[in-house]
Amino acid sequence: MSSPVKFLVVDDFSTMRRIVKNLLQELGYNDITEADDGNTALPLLQAGSFDVLITDWNMPGMPGIDLLKAVRADAKLAKLPVLMLTAEAKREQIVEAVQAGASGYVIKPFTAVTLKEKLDKMLAARAAA
Amino acid sequence: MSKSNPDTERYRAQVAALQSALDGGDGAAFHRAFESLCEQMDCGLLPELKRLTATAQSALARFSAEARLDTLAGHEVPDARKRLTHVVKLTDEAAHKTMDLVDSCGPLVDEAARGSAQLIKNWNTMTDRDAAVSVFLERTRTDAEKLRGNLTELLMAQGYQDITGQIIRSVISLVDELEEVLGKLVKIAEGKDVTSIVRVVSTQGAPERGFGPQVAGLESADAVSGQDDIDALLSAMAAGK
Repeated sequence: MSSPVKFLVVDDFSTMRRIVKNLLQELGYNDITEADDGNTALPLLQAGSFDVLITDWNMPGMPGIDLLKAVRADAKLAKLPVLMLTAEAKREQIVEAVQAGASGYVIKPFTAVTLKEKLDKMLAARAAA
Repeated sequence: MSKSNPDTERYRAQVAALQSALDGGDGAAFHRAFESLCEQMDCGLLPELKRLTATAQSALARFSAEARLDTLAGHEVPDARKRLTHVVKLTDEAAHKTMDLVDSCGPLVDEAARGSAQLIKNWNTMTDRDAAVSVFLERTRTDAEKLRGNLTELLMAQGYQDITGQIIRSVISLVDELEEVLGKLVKIAEGKDVTSIVRVVSTQGAPERGFGPQVAGLESADAVSGQDDIDALLSAMAAGK
């Protein structure tokens, strides 16, 4: 039996963090930490042993894309699965996020099924690596 | 037959002092007379120069404020109206979705209550308890699953707060800017502020900050249509690697 998967959920809207947290709990994941932007998330990531990062893009302070770039630039975090969960819908942004190393991209509004599907895919890739 | 010109006449005394100092070889007196002459010339020029500079700055500030106001009034305010209309639509949909789901949960709970009440009432007179209990449990199990599904959908329906919140924030920053530009124009009109140029800030913000959710009627030509579109884009990018 593997240890529980540790999630960090980053969004400036507490309602959205709560929705994601509830969905993760429904999927059986109970180890969930929250942060409201990149500036608060990055020290948590560097200090803790998180398995998955789920982050919004448009946030005051450090936006999600900069958090993603900071994560990939950190040798310790370079392989961390990162799911972008955002309302940002421009093709150039999605391309930028993937080029910056995003493991998945889910557009808001999203469904519980979509989130589960992308998470399963990311965790399977992580297990195979 | 010297002609008297009032414009040059006022320099006569200084010029005479200058000439006398030059003739007498008095360097110190010459410099004093020269400075006095310069001062008198400055006295005439400086106020005029100051007035011209102020007029130019005021015109520039007014032009900058009016140009920005033009864009705000011409494009961004009508866009803001569309954004707020979209917010009304999203909140309306979310409220109805929530109430529809509550409506559909009611009968499921009522049925569980009715079924268990009937079992309790008829328990002692029942001929086939096993069959009755089995029917009740099966029904309760499927209804509980439906209930769980509805609860998840109720949760998801609250995502409107994030989307509408982002849209409303963009309108708030537009109102802030409008207030600033109008305030500046009022000051310029009152002659209180002739120096500062209106800061031209776009409410769009920097690209790395994101553009916010797509709004009906204001969709970006470059926007994806939904998750399927994103998945296709990601697959194409993965295949191209």
